[in-house]
Amino acid sequence: MSDMTNPPRRRLRLGTIMDHAILIIGVLVMVLPLVMLVQMSSIPDTEIIKTGPSLHFGDQLDDNFEKAMFGATGFSGENAGTRMLMNSLILGIGFAVGKIVIGMMAAYAIVYFRLRFATLAFWVIFTTLLLPLEVRILPSYEVVQNLGMVNTYHGLIIPLIASATATFFFRQFFRSVPEELVEAARIDGAGPVRFFIDILVPLSQTMIAAMFIIMFVFGWNQYLWPTMITTEEGMFTLVRGIKQIVQVLEGNRVPEFGRANLLAIIAVVPPVLIVVFFQSWFVKGLTESDK
Amino acid sequence: MKKLTLASAALTALWTGAAFAETEITWWHAMGGDLGETVNQIAADFNASQDEYKITPVFKGSYEETLTAGIAAFRAGEQPNIMQVFDAGAATVIGAKGATVPVQDLLTENGVDFDINDYISGVRYFYADADGKMIGMPFNSSSPIMYYNVDALAAAGVTAPKTWEEFQTVTAPALKEAGYTALSQSHLPWIFTENFMSRHNLPFATNDNGYTGTDTKILVNNDAIKAHFTAVTEWQDQGYFEWFGTGWGDNQTPFEEGKVAIWLGSSGSFGGLANKDLGFEFSADYLPYWEAVTEAPTQTFIGGAALFAMAGKSDAENKATAAFFEYMTKPETQYFWHQETGYVPITEAAYDLAKADGHYDRSPAAEVGIKQLSLPAGDYTKGYRMGFYVQIRDVMNREYGRILTGETSVEDAFNAIEKEANELLARFAKTQG
Amino acid sequence: MKKAGFTQAWLPILLLVPQLSIILIFFYWPAAQAVQSSFYLQDPFGFGSTFVGADNYTDLLGNAEYKRIAWFTVIFTVSVTFLSLSLALLLAVKADKVIRGAKGYRTLLMWVYAVAPPVAGFIGLIMFNQSWGPITRTFAALGHDLKIGVNYWDTAGAMIAVSVWKQIPVNFIFFLSGLQSIPRSVREAALIDNRSASSRFWGVTFPLLAPTGFFLLIINITYALFDTFGVIDTLVKGEPGNNPMTLVYKVYVDGFRGNDLGGSSAQSVILMVLVLALTVFQFRMVERRIHYT
Repeated sequence: MSDMTNPPRRRLRLGTIMDHAILIIGVLVMVLPLVMLVQMSSIPDTEIIKTGPSLHFGDQLDDNFEKAMFGATGFSGENAGTRMLMNSLILGIGFAVGKIVIGMMAAYAIVYFRLRFATLAFWVIFTTLLLPLEVRILPSYEVVQNLGMVNTYHGLIIPLIASATATFFFRQFFRSVPEELVEAARIDGAGPVRFFIDILVPLSQTMIAAMFIIMFVFGWNQYLWPTMITTEEGMFTLVRGIKQIVQVLEGNRVPEFGRANLLAIIAVVPPVLIVVFFQSWFVKGLTESDK
Repeated sequence: MKKLTLASAALTALWTGAAFAETEITWWHAMGGDLGETVNQIAADFNASQDEYKITPVFKGSYEETLTAGIAAFRAGEQPNIMQVFDAGAATVIGAKGATVPVQDLLTENGVDFDINDYISGVRYFYADADGKMIGMPFNSSSPIMYYNVDALAAAGVTAPKTWEEFQTVTAPALKEAGYTALSQSHLPWIFTENFMSRHNLPFATNDNGYTGTDTKILVNNDAIKAHFTAVTEWQDQGYFEWFGTGWGDNQTPFEEGKVAIWLGSSGSFGGLANKDLGFEFSADYLPYWEAVTEAPTQTFIGGAALFAMAGKSDAENKATAAFFEYMTKPETQYFWHQETGYVPITEAAYDLAKADGHYDRSPAAEVGIKQLSLPAGDYTKGYRMGFYVQIRDVMNREYGRILTGETSVEDAFNAIEKEANELLARFAKTQG
Repeated sequence: MKKAGFTQAWLPILLLVPQLSIILIFFYWPAAQAVQSSFYLQDPFGFGSTFVGADNYTDLLGNAEYKRIAWFTVIFTVSVTFLSLSLALLLAVKADKVIRGAKGYRTLLMWVYAVAPPVAGFIGLIMFNQSWGPITRTFAALGHDLKIGVNYWDTAGAMIAVSVWKQIPVNFIFFLSGLQSIPRSVREAALIDNRSASSRFWGVTFPLLAPTGFFLLIINITYALFDTFGVIDTLVKGEPGNNPMTLVYKVYVDGFRGNDLGGSSAQSVILMVLVLALTVFQFRMVERRIHYT
């Protein structure tokens, strides 16, 4: 910023060009694969398996979109793109909301109350922080089965919530809230519930928004767990649906590259839009949470 | 007018009555894409053919995912009525007595005629127990066969090789001369190990290939197969053979692109190749054998998967399952499945129907798989039964990959496979205790 | 907890109940089951089982292949962490410097954050396709015959490349806002002291970014260890073969694919211990950092 004005002009020019060149290369590396996906879904499948991606755009985009969005592959006909899109949304939103509500409550309890077993509760909760579902997936599945939660949205969502990432972030955030606020609230005679609802929640708005985006993307992108837990086609999510089509790429018929690519695009677009549109919240939340 | 409404009311009553009486069963399978659509077609046809039962097929991912999901569901008492289990999972599902109802029992108990000799000889005993009782119903049965590019072989002035000796002295050099890579294959454990054993009638494991006990030892570390792999590496050096990775399609694609002249793949791939508009004519023949090992080559194992009736279901549901199996094995159903997918028909009657209908006159190559499965049987050709076989295949794939990328020698690789496979078998034996 | 708090006894417990019950049912219960089954060899359907003591653990530690996988996991984690951090830092420094198009660059550089790992793997499969993958073609033009799925290190390279591609955006966002929060006065002071841009960067900016960098280090290590699962599974097309794999993928291969419950549980427990150590380490560092900032 400020160093733009001082050095000699010629060197600055060259340096700026270099900076832009590096950024443009970075952008190309990030963006080109998606352009390629779009291109590949615009030409016929038989052409793709022979030539792969190219610079030539075909006219199959509508057709593939139609197939991916409304054509069902399953027996019941319930796993069309629209249905999978809805399930992915339910998973993403349900997961994000559940995690934020539960996490805020727990973090509030840990930060603002003198608890007898505070240290114990703290460790019980935060041990779960880094261990992903993948390494305990079989016993987890059994637990969910025992509770009769297979093929339900809560069976899909709740076990994923069983880790403390959101709690951890909110704990960090609450600790950065000035202590005077609590004292002021107490002097005003506000109880803990009112303090939480009237002061802490509004104060956390940006944080909540950021958490929502991060958690939504995380939930939306789940693959292995939805594969295990959903046996009904009406419950399939988009990321799981892609796998079903990708598997066919290895099968014995003409692989439906166009459809798979388009489904991949559909799966990518909503979370990308959310991240891009709400990027200032998202960035702020992400980076403030580690304070 | 009144009569009409009455009639329609009666009809409605009848219809809803029927809907309520329907016994519903589920079927978990691993057939994705077009194969899955054929599965759905069969299920829909079955549902339409009668009104007592309704079957719902569910795609559960790969073979491994389907088996694991089925096992987890069984432990929680939520198992489907029918589960598709692939060849490498046979020991797991058959070993767990009480997890399934043997199809032979299921059918006879529900008044369906069953005679194991109705099935073509190659598929009879692969999913049977040591006494020859059929446990799983063979479903998508295939065998590795040799596909070849007719134009390429004509250009090189050779015919499809019968033996590996012919391949390495005549076929491959001529094809190389004509600008082709002679050979690729899609599944080293399946084609160059399991079916290498059955084609040459070599014992694959102790305990009668593992059928009669769990304290089984693998017999893979033998001179015949080591000589074969040594030859394969020589072919690779000479440019006769190329390996494109463990993935199935990676090795099939170069054949489809016309770079590779001969491809060893599944007889079930026939339908797919025919649909792809390859730009050259292709045909198929039996898997070659080594004359130095045997003068009398035998039949191959079936690959693919079988359908198992899961235990713990009501009699009414089991009856529905039996009815579906009966429908499945009808010649018409089998012929439909065979035509659509290229998997072999599992009964003699279905095979006869296909012949009578002129299917093989129209595409002779479609018959290769079933003919190869009907070749003379030997002492070691009915199948194999080894626990943790998925991992054993993984070990083979890993070591074969290392041989073909020059990371290890044939001798070391087979020592490693034998050692690790026997460790896995010993571990599996303990799980059955 | 230094926050001057409220003193109600029942409210905090009520607030903690949802979190604690979910964690107990869906985390500790399965985890305890994993620990228990790591001492048994059991029939997957649940009919037979044998208590084998610590055999599952000793089998693993004596297995040359498991050691090889552990080694690869280390190499993979270090490469992914190092590459995604350094490339992101480079891009962030440049994005912080330019004036024109800064917002556009930021948006275009961060969207990959939202791509699901299996989709990233799928994109990788296309890029590295043996017959017509654009990257394969590029390498062929440069004289290297790239063979994904055949050559161990080629495949490893593809796994690392895709994983790095997917991880750069997060690191980029953190570094960029880390850079933008460096006070103007510090920058100006640095400008007077140091004429050369590179010594300014290494002498002033880099140390100021170190806290962010440390936090990201932990995030990236966990990412490389666990979240790359979908990338690896898709890239090897579900067939481990002679391809490289990480410890988490091995748990999946033996447990989920091969139904070896005892063996894969033992692997899970080993991973849990590893991760626990990492968590404790992270907390100690993070807590300490909070004191300084």
